[in-house]
Amino acid sequence: MSTASRQQGGFVEQGFREMSVALAARGVSKSFGGLKAVQDFTLELPTGSLRGLIGPNGAGKTTVFNLLTGVYQPDVGVVELGGQSILGLRPSKIASLGMARTFQNIRLFGELSVLDNVKLACHVRAEQSMLGAILRTAFSRNEEAAIEAKARRLLQLFDLDDRRDEAGRNLPYGDQRRLEIARALATNPKVLLLDEPAAGMNPQEKLALRALIRRVRDEFGVTILLIEHDMGLVMDICEHITVLDHGAVISRGTPQQVQEDPKVIEAYLGVAEESEKQ
Amino acid sequence: MDQLLQAIKDSITIGCLYALIALGYTMVYGILKFINFAHSDVVVIGALSTAVLGERMLHKLAPGATAAWYYGPLLLLLAILICSTVAFTVERLAYRPLRRAPRLNVLITAIGVSLLLQNAGQLKFLFGTEPHPVPMLIDQTATIFTVLGVKFRWLDLAIIGTAIIFMVALDYLVFHTKIGRGMRAVSHDTRIASLMGVPVDRIISFTFITGAALAAAGGFLYALRYQTVTQPADTGWALLGLKAFVAAVVGGIGNIRGAVLGALAIACVENFGAAYLHPGYTDVYVFVILILVLLFRPGGILGKAVVEKV
Amino acid sequence: MPTHVLVARAALPFLVSLLLALLLHFGVARFLDDYDRGLVMSVGINIMLAVSLTMVNGFTGQFSIGHAGFLGVGGYVAGAVTYATSLKLYGDLETRGSMLSGTSLNVDPATLSWFGQGDLLFVASLLAGGCAAALIGYVVGLPSLRLRGDYLAIVTLGFGEIVRVLIQRTDKTAALQAWDRVHPGVPAPEGVSRVFAIENSVLDPATGLSQTTYTAVSDANWFEIAPRVGGSLGFSAVPDYTSIFWVVLFAGVTIAVASRIKRSTFGRAFLSIREDEIASEAMGVDTVRYKVRAFVIAAFFAGLAGGLFAHFKSMNPNEIGFARSFDIVIMVVLGGLGSISGASIAAIIVTLLPEWLRGLDQYRMIIWALALILMMIFRPQGLLGVREIWDKALWQGLVRFIKREKSSPKAGGGA
Ligand SMILES: Nc1ncnc2c1ncn2[C@@H]1O[C@H](COP(=O)(O)OP(=O)(O)OP(=O)(O)O)[C@@H](O)[C@H]1O
Ligand SMILES: [Mg+2]
Repeated sequence: MSTASRQQGGFVEQGFREMSVALAARGVSKSFGGLKAVQDFTLELPTGSLRGLIGPNGAGKTTVFNLLTGVYQPDVGVVELGGQSILGLRPSKIASLGMARTFQNIRLFGELSVLDNVKLACHVRAEQSMLGAILRTAFSRNEEAAIEAKARRLLQLFDLDDRRDEAGRNLPYGDQRRLEIARALATNPKVLLLDEPAAGMNPQEKLALRALIRRVRDEFGVTILLIEHDMGLVMDICEHITVLDHGAVISRGTPQQVQEDPKVIEAYLGVAEESEKQ
Repeated sequence: MDQLLQAIKDSITIGCLYALIALGYTMVYGILKFINFAHSDVVVIGALSTAVLGERMLHKLAPGATAAWYYGPLLLLLAILICSTVAFTVERLAYRPLRRAPRLNVLITAIGVSLLLQNAGQLKFLFGTEPHPVPMLIDQTATIFTVLGVKFRWLDLAIIGTAIIFMVALDYLVFHTKIGRGMRAVSHDTRIASLMGVPVDRIISFTFITGAALAAAGGFLYALRYQTVTQPADTGWALLGLKAFVAAVVGGIGNIRGAVLGALAIACVENFGAAYLHPGYTDVYVFVILILVLLFRPGGILGKAVVEKV
Repeated sequence: MPTHVLVARAALPFLVSLLLALLLHFGVARFLDDYDRGLVMSVGINIMLAVSLTMVNGFTGQFSIGHAGFLGVGGYVAGAVTYATSLKLYGDLETRGSMLSGTSLNVDPATLSWFGQGDLLFVASLLAGGCAAALIGYVVGLPSLRLRGDYLAIVTLGFGEIVRVLIQRTDKTAALQAWDRVHPGVPAPEGVSRVFAIENSVLDPATGLSQTTYTAVSDANWFEIAPRVGGSLGFSAVPDYTSIFWVVLFAGVTIAVASRIKRSTFGRAFLSIREDEIASEAMGVDTVRYKVRAFVIAAFFAGLAGGLFAHFKSMNPNEIGFARSFDIVIMVVLGGLGSISGASIAAIIVTLLPEWLRGLDQYRMIIWALALILMMIFRPQGLLGVREIWDKALWQGLVRFIKREKSSPKAGGGA
């Protein structure tokens, strides 16, 4: 299945866009005051692909995610999810259309239990009415049971089921990151955006995460775009990488191509030199 | 025509009163991002201490006579001293422990402080529950000049003059002194300011003291204008504070010049509404304006809408 | 599970409320004097107010401090409906209740039915009051809930004030007037000396003086009578239908509805807004819509509580001002932001404690204020936090805590 979708991805590049582009951004720009955080950003995610977005600190990667998910509105440009423009929609609407994300600075519902964090994310697909919930109708009860079952299944997949009753904020850092992914998946997304999922994890956890992300893509059939500073991880699991620097795309291609691109090397080396000087 | 000019004059005098109070709200909001509900109680303390201390000092004054000129400034100074002490203490004991707490908690604490000041102020050995008359510190009746049938009294000049002096001083303090730069830095980003070596806690204390001094001036002028000061828990006070806060929001919360502008705007809405619509519903006009501003220009007149960083 | 078991389970909390209401009404209330019965009703009404506000301030983490405004809207609307309808329908302001709500007519209590015409009117006006409050809640909430959190505080406070000012400017209620005054020159029918009438002030264009005339309620239409709700004098003309039964029933229903919501997928949606609005929105929760919903539901129950209040004590503009709103906030905060049972317990304490502390009247509010401040500094989550007394986790935590307490001196002794 994964090879099939990868091949589809190949077609996309050849021009059969409408059929299988899960997410597209065209000419998107955003500035904050005088700062041009993102300039003329273009990206297409073929359905079922697993791609990366990298760049030095402050390059504008998180801002791109915020633009894609409707947290910020682009100054110019178009964002399309499954061929339909999502400009001007609220983030919640975009989530219900099938895009989910995680946050770089973890944003769990700290006081809620691990289980409730995931159950909440199922809410966007819930069909019961509030009156039904108050009267506890059969429909509402069945749906609650289904939500519970789905959340438990996800937690098991992410190895978090044992800690389901703990408050979200009491989990260790790596678990919190995985819980965020589980929570995002519970919304049944077509496209999943991961913002530095490996940040703060130890080497074993990072290795496990690689397998997990692949598995999520294959089992759930979601299209994934991930931001990550761990180059080992990115180069290993991403089929295609976009490199951002100072808000602009400076390179894109396979991991191999990107790694060899002198512009990319310069962007990262420039950063390295600067930090050496300090 | 007369009615129009009268409304303009009232708008300016009342606007000055509101402005002095609104400045305290806006400064604290700018720095700590919470509504200091206890601010209106500081105004009350300013007004009541003017009345009570004035009574003590001037009880020998013949009825109808006006006190010597220096009593006014003296009482103003005392009111400032008392209010600043109260505000400093409140910040130190109640707000500082909550620096890192969620905003809701700070807001509730502010309500708690407000209730505390109101009810402690009602104790017999403080201000009690009876209204206090204010001694004649300034000639209430003599007209200095008349413009197109609108009389200007010494009282009006005193209010407008005092308010302008305080506002100019504040503007200088905030925009032209080192401590003012610290205040602006803390208001912009507390964390970075403290990294840059700005003594954040001291700046915050100073902000509260400054706000309280302005509130004391507001309370003093209020006492001067209205001649009787009611007890601390009178809803009128909370309403006065609320209107001043609305003025700060309308002007752009956190913006000092905006607060003055907003205060004048609110005073205009009240006085023109009273003159041309119905005098019984001034509070209603103010809140309708608030809702309209929030709907169409949430950042206020001079403020800009903020985007939360994600 | 068979269907009837499921239905019974679904109805359980409501049935429990009904049973409890009957028990208290016919059992315990017998042993109380009028004053204590009044206290029980005040407690119930305050529980409704605290629990409803919990849905806004506790669940969604918004900050509404004008809740008394909704009490006012509900109370005045419900009161006006009962009062104007009674006058139009019966021509008087007697309570025509049942065994559940009592009566002011001179009849043998044993002959009362279970549910009278008056009860129907009463419940209908309560619902009218609740709906009116909910509608106003929507109008006030929609603009302010789209903005940053603390604007809601200011708008709700301002809203409460507007309600107070508007009420204050209403006219006197219809009252009994001498027949001759109302119908000058018309001979009074046999045995009638006074009739209910509304007062009108009219300006005499000739003299420029205002003159008072009276219109009998039988000649006035419903819309002339209903808006005259007493102004600053208070609104005591409402028949007293409220009884322990109705208060306990409605308080039980409020608690049941709130906890059903809290435990459902909607409850998680509300709580997620309070925990992290941005994450909540990213997970597909339309935060504006849900904040408004919580606000409207809370307003509805506050309106119901207002209706109960209006049919029990005299509504009056000062009852719905800042002070009352702050009282409700204090209950919510003391109980624990988000805890329904916590808010209920706090409502009981805040209502009853002043009765026991009568001697300390002057210091009562000072003590409240200090308690609030200290609570925020040392136990910001309130009595129960977001937990409920019926949560297992709360008791497990308590057991763990006690065990640790017990084991620590042992460990100390061993060392
Ligand atoms: N809401 C905002 N207001 C002002 N400036 C912002 C805002 N959001 C982002 N920026 C600025 O935009 C630039 C890009 O930020 P962004 O967070 O997108 O970078 P990034 O590539 O994700 O970096 P990192 O690898 O450190 O996460 C930064 O200079 C940042 O300060
Ligand atoms: Mg980032």
